[in-house]
Amino acid sequence: MTFEVIRQQLPLFEEDGRAAATDDERGRDLHYLPDLPEEDPYAAGHRTCAGCGPAIQYRWVLKAAGQDTVVAGPTGCMYVANSTYLCTPYTVPWAHTPIASGGSFTSGVAAGYEAMIRKGRYPGPYPNIVVMAGDGSAADIGIGSISGALYRNHDALFVCYDNECYANTGIQTSPTTPYAGMTTFTPFGKAIPEGKKLPPKNLAKMMAEGHPHCYVATTTVGYPVDLMNKTRKGLNHVGAAFLHCYTPCQKGWVYQTSMTVELGRRVVESGLWPVWEYDPQERTYRYFHPPVQRPVTDYLAMQGRFGHMLPEHVAVTQVGANRNWETIGMEVPRVLRDLEDPARHQRLADEEYSMPINRGVGA
Amino acid sequence: MTTVHADIGQPPRLARAIRTPEGERFLNGIAGTRVRQNGCAAAAYAALYANVDVVTAYPIRPYTAIMMNLAQFIADGILDAEYIHADGEHSQFSAAFGAGSCGARAYTGSSGVGVTYGYEMYSIISGARIPIQMAIADRTLDPPGDFGSEHTDALCTRDMGWLMGWAATPQEVFDKSLLAYAIGEDPRVLLPQMVVQDGYFVSHIAGEVEMPPAELVDDFLPPYQLPFPLNPMRPVSHGAQIHPEQGPPLQLERARAMEDAIGVIRAKTDEFGRVFGRTYPHFVESYRLEDAEIAIVISGGHAVTCRAAVRRLRERGVKIGMARLLWVRPFPGDDLREALRGVKAVGVVETNLGLGGASYGGILSLDVTTALYHQAGERPLVTSFMAGLGGETVPMAEFDWMAGKLGQAIERGRVEKAAHWVGFEEAVLASGGRPPQTPPMEAR
Repeated sequence: MTFEVIRQQLPLFEEDGRAAATDDERGRDLHYLPDLPEEDPYAAGHRTCAGCGPAIQYRWVLKAAGQDTVVAGPTGCMYVANSTYLCTPYTVPWAHTPIASGGSFTSGVAAGYEAMIRKGRYPGPYPNIVVMAGDGSAADIGIGSISGALYRNHDALFVCYDNECYANTGIQTSPTTPYAGMTTFTPFGKAIPEGKKLPPKNLAKMMAEGHPHCYVATTTVGYPVDLMNKTRKGLNHVGAAFLHCYTPCQKGWVYQTSMTVELGRRVVESGLWPVWEYDPQERTYRYFHPPVQRPVTDYLAMQGRFGHMLPEHVAVTQVGANRNWETIGMEVPRVLRDLEDPARHQRLADEEYSMPINRGVGA
Repeated sequence: MTTVHADIGQPPRLARAIRTPEGERFLNGIAGTRVRQNGCAAAAYAALYANVDVVTAYPIRPYTAIMMNLAQFIADGILDAEYIHADGEHSQFSAAFGAGSCGARAYTGSSGVGVTYGYEMYSIISGARIPIQMAIADRTLDPPGDFGSEHTDALCTRDMGWLMGWAATPQEVFDKSLLAYAIGEDPRVLLPQMVVQDGYFVSHIAGEVEMPPAELVDDFLPPYQLPFPLNPMRPVSHGAQIHPEQGPPLQLERARAMEDAIGVIRAKTDEFGRVFGRTYPHFVESYRLEDAEIAIVISGGHAVTCRAAVRRLRERGVKIGMARLLWVRPFPGDDLREALRGVKAVGVVETNLGLGGASYGGILSLDVTTALYHQAGERPLVTSFMAGLGGETVPMAEFDWMAGKLGQAIERGRVEKAAHWVGFEEAVLASGGRPPQTPPMEAR
């Protein structure tokens, strides 16, 4: 005899025209979300930076998850900036975990609730179990523990809030830092003019391909309804789900603080962050096709971390973006194809339409 | 000593976990019988009796057999528990930590380099005051690869805030596992526990283990109630970032919990004796120490040989006794001093490596010496014996040799060395080689 484990089913938000909101006036209006829950399990009063992308993501994810939720947070900027002893922004149970333990600690929580409910120890329904790990935790030191958790298929949502660097420790490169992204471990100089020489890990694809029974999705803070619905789909999915969310870091990327959400759209519109959903039943990817396609300079020029890029570096990034367009099944317009040629570029700092670039070091 | 800082009121009480019908039948069937089993099986049976909710496993010899037994219990429907195949010991202990943090009774374990691979987690789990249990079957640390037992793996972690004690027989493994849960989960303590057994000497050698009725265990070990679980009905935050000035009080609390565990260990050991009919000393087994002039201080399975050696030496008129440490954390200074009262020379058997420490040999003698230093009046001479390293046996003849060295120390009024490498000194000298040099200790 065992007790039944009752799982929550969260309704999805109306998505039509909102998840894929365009860059025009009408599209932007669709981002106002009067039907979203009022409750904020991630309450105000934390210490994140102005314009913090991860804080926006934390808020949307926990709004979508609701109060019957247990949250874990491995070490990262969102540990240090959010929790202050004797003071907490969480109105749901939350636990810090070591940086490599995001997947494993959460596995323990999920297993604990499965067993406790089944054995009559815990009277409630199975809680929504969410871990939000930074890219350092999810793509680097703790990737094994998250992969283990996905493989074991614990009923939990594993989120990577990706600010493309180790921000908390002063902006060091992580495996998701883009090519030519300047960090304090990949500074640019005469010998290494591009800063970071390596292309980033494709974390979400790795998780989807490597754990084909899991619900895996990518999103950005530019698409709140999409972010919240993917959160809920991940939670509703019985088993493990992985959500990779693009979350700009003002401190590390050096941009105007009001541009966080704008970056969340431009990164998609420039082909550098494919937004997709992987369906474990069909074993297929559903790619979001943004209504606008831009050259990568529209995105790069907004950020100080790319300000040192030379024409050949920009071209490399454009090549990567164009391959992404092809991967997600979109036509690469002639103009973007031409931009694969370094001769078509100038130094990024000289881009006339760029936002003011702060050339100070990231940290 | 209270362990909760903010008044969060009464936590939700969790009910006792049910057992499966197969489990009930199985436990009824074995109740009252004596089963021949090795230390690994004994640990697994204890976890079954404790009705653990979550087991986290990662293979490494020799403790693996504990997890193999538990996997079979689950496969047979005898135990209802989540069994996590972790991707490494760090994850393994983290998962047990997560389960314990939400109120589930979690069980884990390891051996050798597995114990050290997960090292980050020890301080974190004890500091979070999550009383999970970890079984360790000792194994020598690399290099090179060696399956043999050596206590260094567990002793490396001795100062991380876990209760830690060695069991010398499968029966003791069984009893200590239940006892350790009862002590660690006590709200006055709330500390994780390491129940350690020598690899192979205990983990893989069968002894008789008495199987109690499940009701007795249920009475002795009430349902695990973490005062501050990760429970949506009563949200709490665990492990928030602190400022440096907030550190000392937290460390002091953890230190006090370890001190407070001493009283709880006494009370629970007595209660265990009343419930199960097997009485243990609280901390130190005194064997033939009443009128002893020399004493061996030892921990773990080699005590079995040591007892026999003491018996034989006594027959020859040597006034020797043995003090076996049942717990190393918290370290039982009072009990050890009491046990060694009147002893003139003490030899600590070090089945471990403490390279470059004050003893120039092992780890245990540091604690033993410190405990004895704080003795009022005459203090015994202390030396240590490096023996049983790499999983070697410690035969009777070596204990005889140790007794000889201790006798010499009394005659000379000083010990020859801080650490003797047993079995090496004469042999190395005979071959013309250089014996290990450890600084001589001045007479006290």
